[in-house]
Amino acid sequence: MKKWFAGALLLVALGYTIYGTSTLTLYTQSGRPAAGFFPLMIGFLLVVSCSINLWFDIREWFQERTSGSGHTHQPEPAAEGTAEALGLDTHTIDGGQEHARDVVIVFAYICGFVAALKIVGALLAMVAFMLAFLFTFDRSRPVTNILYSLALPGFLYWLFKILLNASLPLSPLGF
Amino acid sequence: MFSEVISNLSLGLSIAASPEGLLFLLLGAFVGMIVGLFPGFGPAAGIAVLLPLTFGLDPTTAIIMLAGIYYGSMYGGTITSILINTPGESATVASTLDGYPLAQKGRAGPALVMQAIASFFGGTIGVLLITALAPSLANFASKFGPSEYFLIIAIGLLMLTTMMGDNKFKGFISALIGFAVGSVGVDVMSGQQRFTFGSPELIGGVYFVAVAIGLFGIGELLHCILNGQHRQPAEKLRISFRDKEFWPTRKDYAESKFTFFRGSAIGFLAGVLPGSGATLGSIIGYSVEKKVAKDPENFGKGEMRGLVAPEAANNAASAGAMVPLLSLGIPGSGATAVLLGAFMMWGLQPGPLLIVNDPGFVWGLIASMYLGNMILIALSIFAIPLFVKFLDIPYLHVVPVIVLLCVIGAFAINASIVETWILVFSGAVGFAMKKFGYSPAATVLALVLGSMAEETFLQSYIISQGTLSVFWERPVSLVLSIILLCIVLAPLIFKLGQRFFGKSVKHLAHQK
Repeated sequence: MKKWFAGALLLVALGYTIYGTSTLTLYTQSGRPAAGFFPLMIGFLLVVSCSINLWFDIREWFQERTSGSGHTHQPEPAAEGTAEALGLDTHTIDGGQEHARDVVIVFAYICGFVAALKIVGALLAMVAFMLAFLFTFDRSRPVTNILYSLALPGFLYWLFKILLNASLPLSPLGF
Repeated sequence: MFSEVISNLSLGLSIAASPEGLLFLLLGAFVGMIVGLFPGFGPAAGIAVLLPLTFGLDPTTAIIMLAGIYYGSMYGGTITSILINTPGESATVASTLDGYPLAQKGRAGPALVMQAIASFFGGTIGVLLITALAPSLANFASKFGPSEYFLIIAIGLLMLTTMMGDNKFKGFISALIGFAVGSVGVDVMSGQQRFTFGSPELIGGVYFVAVAIGLFGIGELLHCILNGQHRQPAEKLRISFRDKEFWPTRKDYAESKFTFFRGSAIGFLAGVLPGSGATLGSIIGYSVEKKVAKDPENFGKGEMRGLVAPEAANNAASAGAMVPLLSLGIPGSGATAVLLGAFMMWGLQPGPLLIVNDPGFVWGLIASMYLGNMILIALSIFAIPLFVKFLDIPYLHVVPVIVLLCVIGAFAINASIVETWILVFSGAVGFAMKKFGYSPAATVLALVLGSMAEETFLQSYIISQGTLSVFWERPVSLVLSIILLCIVLAPLIFKLGQRFFGKSVKHLAHQK
């Protein structure tokens, strides 16, 4: 995954630079830097650094493959650095086993929640998100889940909509 | 000078000590302590997620509350370090080394009280130094031109990325990503639209709050889920300050009396330097304390000085980080970058002129830090049993609170669904950045400082007619350019030296 992310970054960097140079002016008629000058500098640096980064990641992946020592857990880099400096086990800071499937599920629920905001309104979207989330990960306490799924969105709706007078999307029923 | 400081502080106190100011300071400190309790959810994420809740407040009250969250999280993060060996955030990692062994020895109470006193001591010394240094630095910085500002931004970003251990290069890329995102919108100098793809929503640029909430809030949350925090049972802990063993002994105070000063001084220096911040400050504080101790072998086995040093240091560092923010308008960490974004949101332009143009705001904030430390020491000692109760809440029930606050908060800012999708996208990117070793903090810092960096660079370019000679012709610029070069070249020279001398040593060993 690491090399794919590095590859995606390189593609975005290339797109940014190519689109920037084709749509923006680099210098004004009087020879002064124009709107495209700074983005082009950033784009150039991004393309060069992302290419080197991708090369490093592919090399690392290749080395892991040939030595057969692929990582099962990628520790948090900041935690890894701190743990190294302190002589601690990274897992004391960063946890152990990975739950990638759960990340995908939660992210999909968040996307669904945002998509539903404009359709069913903020309050119902919040309730639906909470019910889906809680019943996916803990089915042992249905009553608690339902009560919590009603109470928290209700409180946040009151806080944002009524107390802070924020603009929240409404449902077709007007709440 | 001294009388001026006193009169300014009185002005600040009259603002911060108003009933409204005190209420929101208490609220911020309380929420900050809770934010600090949850592992993986640091002050930057806490401030970003809770930022939308301050929209209804006036700027000074809002910033006082956000600053309360900022230093409150430093106090709260240690509670879990001591009780369950899990730091609430990276700046309290060093506190686990002796904090947890102390708890295992049955001295959790004294450890919690001493950490609160050390935090208070560090925080107060930090604020005293801010009071003395910020106006002088702002006065000095008022003579800065665009070249000096550009160099300070570059130094800050480089230091932030070079402090990241093995991930310097990825940190550099992260900063470039922030600059690239910051270039979206209308160019201030020519008025030309950049990377808007014809969307009216992007003319004003990519809104920083949505990106910061996504990178820090959703990104951190997904990373915690990856590590399985949502599947871990809640910790059932009980602690009461009525217990006889709750309070530290005279020996604890006597042994730690110089540690308070050493930790605070080291932490403050680390905080003032852009990029290093509270994490590094607390680690250096611990290491120095261990080095100067006559009994270093006791460290790591439940030594009170091993807890006091990092605690004093991380709180002094979080105060120190406010110096470049208030006097130069340049944040040195993710959390202060979010605070800078909040300043800008309320139309305040941090920099040397902020103290002159808006003394009520600056001195109100500084005065709130004195009051905040007093509130936090009281909360840290007398409300420990209450905060320990928060650890009973399983992380599974914390996840929806964070998601709902992030999404509803991001939408509520401008009632924009595009910005809410930017939040979701930033969340996914933030998660990947954390997982693969990039730095979301560097991205946010570069995003916040992007327009300033571009403006000052182009001004320097135009002033020097394209030669960039202004970077070495002005004395302050020359010094800053040398510092910048040192930061870039020092690791390379060190690496080359290591390789060369390493080979020589190996060669000699081989010959023998």
